[in-house]
Amino acid sequence: MLVLMLEDIRKLVKRTLDGGKVDGVLALWRENGRVGPHLFVKGDDVSTLEIDPKYNLAAVAILALASGAKKIALIGRGCDERALVELFKRYQIDEDAIEFIGMACSAEQAQACECDIPYPTKIQFGEKVDGVVPNELKNVDDMSLDERFAYWRDVFAKCIKCYGCKNACPVCVCQDCVLEDPMWVKKGEIPPEFPMFHLIRAYHMADRCVQCHECEEACPMDIPLTLLYRQLRQDMKDLFDYLPGASDAKPPLTTVLEDEKLEEGA
Amino acid sequence: MSYESVLTTCPYCGCGCQFYLQVVNGNIVGVVPDKTHPIAEGALCIKGWNAHVFVQREDRLHKPLIKENGEFREAEWDEALDLVAEKLGEIKEKHGPDALATLCSAKCTNEENYLLQKLTRATIGTNNVDHCARLCHASTVTGLAHAFGSGAMTNSVPEIDDSDVILITGSNTIEQHPLIGSRMVKARERGAKIILIDPRRVPMRLFSDLYLQFIPGTDVAWLNGMMHVILKEKLHDKKYIKERTEGFEAFEKVVKKYDPKTVEKICGIPANLLEEAARMFAKAERGSIFYSMGITQHITGTDNVKSVANLAMLTGNVGKRAAGVNPLRGQNNVQGACDMGALPNVYPGYQAVANEDAAKKFEKAWGTKLSREPGLTIVEISNAARKGDVKGMYIVGENPMISDPDIEHVRQGLEALDFLVVQDIFMTETAALADVVLPASSYAEKEGTFTATDRRVQRVRKAIEPVGESREDWKIVIDIAKRLGGKGCDFESPAEIMDELASLAPIYGGVSFDRLDAGEDLLWPVKEPGHAGTEFLHEGQFTRGKGVFSPIEFREADELPDKEYPYILTTGRLMFQYHTGTMTRRTPALESESPNPFVEVNPEDAKELGIKNGDWLEVSSRRGSIKIQSRVANIVGKGVVFIPFHYAEAAANVLTNPALDPDSKIPELKVCAVAMKPLPK
Ligand code: SF4
Ligand code: SF4
Ligand code: SF4
Repeated sequence: MLVLMLEDIRKLVKRTLDGGKVDGVLALWRENGRVGPHLFVKGDDVSTLEIDPKYNLAAVAILALASGAKKIALIGRGCDERALVELFKRYQIDEDAIEFIGMACSAEQAQACECDIPYPTKIQFGEKVDGVVPNELKNVDDMSLDERFAYWRDVFAKCIKCYGCKNACPVCVCQDCVLEDPMWVKKGEIPPEFPMFHLIRAYHMADRCVQCHECEEACPMDIPLTLLYRQLRQDMKDLFDYLPGASDAKPPLTTVLEDEKLEEGA
Repeated sequence: MSYESVLTTCPYCGCGCQFYLQVVNGNIVGVVPDKTHPIAEGALCIKGWNAHVFVQREDRLHKPLIKENGEFREAEWDEALDLVAEKLGEIKEKHGPDALATLCSAKCTNEENYLLQKLTRATIGTNNVDHCARLCHASTVTGLAHAFGSGAMTNSVPEIDDSDVILITGSNTIEQHPLIGSRMVKARERGAKIILIDPRRVPMRLFSDLYLQFIPGTDVAWLNGMMHVILKEKLHDKKYIKERTEGFEAFEKVVKKYDPKTVEKICGIPANLLEEAARMFAKAERGSIFYSMGITQHITGTDNVKSVANLAMLTGNVGKRAAGVNPLRGQNNVQGACDMGALPNVYPGYQAVANEDAAKKFEKAWGTKLSREPGLTIVEISNAARKGDVKGMYIVGENPMISDPDIEHVRQGLEALDFLVVQDIFMTETAALADVVLPASSYAEKEGTFTATDRRVQRVRKAIEPVGESREDWKIVIDIAKRLGGKGCDFESPAEIMDELASLAPIYGGVSFDRLDAGEDLLWPVKEPGHAGTEFLHEGQFTRGKGVFSPIEFREADELPDKEYPYILTTGRLMFQYHTGTMTRRTPALESESPNPFVEVNPEDAKELGIKNGDWLEVSSRRGSIKIQSRVANIVGKGVVFIPFHYAEAAANVLTNPALDPDSKIPELKVCAVAMKPLPK
């Protein structure tokens, strides 16, 4: 089934490239025995195209477009689409520059990401499966406040301040990151100050996290970051009826967050 | 319009993570970790995430430089290369080949190191070739070669996942080998135990089941003490010792003397903790030992390594999955540079220059006469330069003016040379002393291979053209070799160089660019083209046949604290900086985390000195003194201070002791005596 789908996607990519309406197709390919992002252009061998593992390609799309491409197609999953939507809203990518080709994730893929919405709104390939609620989410939800604090203190004690969570996140797009501002987080410490480093990041993700899990996958310490962000997402839903990645709504915290460079001493 | 994603290997540490350089219209703008790589698994440390930043910095060397009347002027390549060849040729002519020496680079590719040692041996005609491995793991190479017959990590990094007990000593793994450290922490979450034995309370202490702090320079004593307990409680692996090792009786006799009470007096480790650690390690089904410079950089470095080997053999932990003796190599390609024979006593693949058969084999292959006389090591080269015995040097990608012990002596040596040529990507402290500086290209501008700490040979791929007029190191070496009349240097590509290497070094026998480009994980020995490589060494039999126990008595460090210099100084590195800072200090995200040198002082000592965190101190040893800010923290023990060696403005190596381990010639960078004087505010 998956193999058939892969063949169909490859064919579509070839047609799309031959059609000449886009400058390239952003997807994954197998090269040198490994799988990573690639911008297919006309003439490329599409048999190298792959759809696993998941790399969120929305952030890569910014780079591909920075090269001067006017329009590209992007083969992506639900989280790619949601991340793109957030990037459109935040003027990082021009909506007209992307032709999104959507795949629904299989049950296994959804389980691997513990994804709550494992499909895009436009599904061209695959079949929609149910979202997954991670067991750990229930565990943490059931904890008392003190227990919860202790839980997060312990997991964040593992942090080696690689900034991988920030770097890998497709919607972490601020020019000046407060995590790197010594006014907020002391420099040079491992683990970084608890809870400042992680709470600042979590707060900043509240109205933009699309649950793509890139942060967690980039975390060398396997810190369950998306668990925390998922709780915040839920809060945003409850408070503002806002779900990041849905195309219509304006991000409620944006006005505060977009010009968040605070004055010294503020 | 071009966007490319180029798979290559991290240029920082020996973990060997791979990532995709993100190249937009010829500019490298970012890094994406490889989710399918066995070490990175989609993650990187902060250095890896920023590994692209220094590459296209404006202050990269763009043109060859020639010094005239004390000033550098830009020159064309031909002029610079001709001058280098003329001067080196002249010195060889007048004073013989041994008046020349080269330093290879743990930052350069295997192919480049291979070529440079070939140039040194075949074209110049001396074995005076060394590199910074001398300063970090020379004693590993001698110690493990003696005990097992091979001086590399016995096991591969992914095997950590299956270890039961992980003993870490003299390695600040989380900061120095982050993606190995994280693997250990995750192994512990799945039930493994971690024993940390280190003079500093390094970050791994948060994840250790046992932490033992000891006085720097007393490693042999506590290792013997642990083995004493294991023998006394009959926890040793008798069958393994009988079948696979030799020299046990003499060893046992020595270890008998090191009861935990005696050891406590020498090392400061409470006897009961030592006993507990001994039991925990001995009872492991798969016990692995990880160590780094804390073990190696001592005048007893080789003894320390042999003692580690003793412990592993005593408990039957070598030649087994997920167990073993694992020296963590610092630089991205320090393992490879050693493998390539960038050492004064061995040809590529650890074949001794003094061995007649090996010499003949290389003479035949290289079509020239070769010296049977092992060459000089780094510190010896610097001494010989001061005495005038070495008159010319060719240094590639090394910065001994920061990295070597007793910098003042290094400077005198380099300044005494008739001719010094330095090849690097930036104007380093060492390059500033050169007569000619050749601009080289970085890892992102060339093809080649690096060998990670676990013997993993990996591809380095060209993402952009060399910046400015810089050239790939391998091309520069060929240009010089040809001008010196060298034969056998008509290589068109690094792949061809690898083919020659593979034909001469049996451990690389089956390595080729084609196999690597097909995604094969090749860990040496890779004996022939069909051979899959070797996950862990010494299975069934040691490389040398039987494993050798060594009876090792504890010897004190060369310089102990006294009235005049009452503290022990130990040196090391930080997460956010790298070695001499040439790359990291040009990377804002890294430099801004740890911009300033500091001396770490125990709170009790701070109180006695009457200083607070951040106060300035003058730290002096018998060799020099530096002014540096204090960082008061309960990380070092009382009586011990720590200075990271990255910073030129307060270089720890002004203070360190160049006393050498007699076997491996590694200097004692981890222990020297210093005095501290608070400076007026
Ligand atoms: S915070 Fe994590 S899960 Fe959320 S969008 Fe960023 S990378 Fe994806
Ligand atoms: S990715 Fe993990 S270790 Fe790195 S900064 Fe984020 S939480 Fe910390
Ligand atoms: S752990 Fe080492 S190899 Fe991996 S990214 Fe960090 S510096 Fe590079």
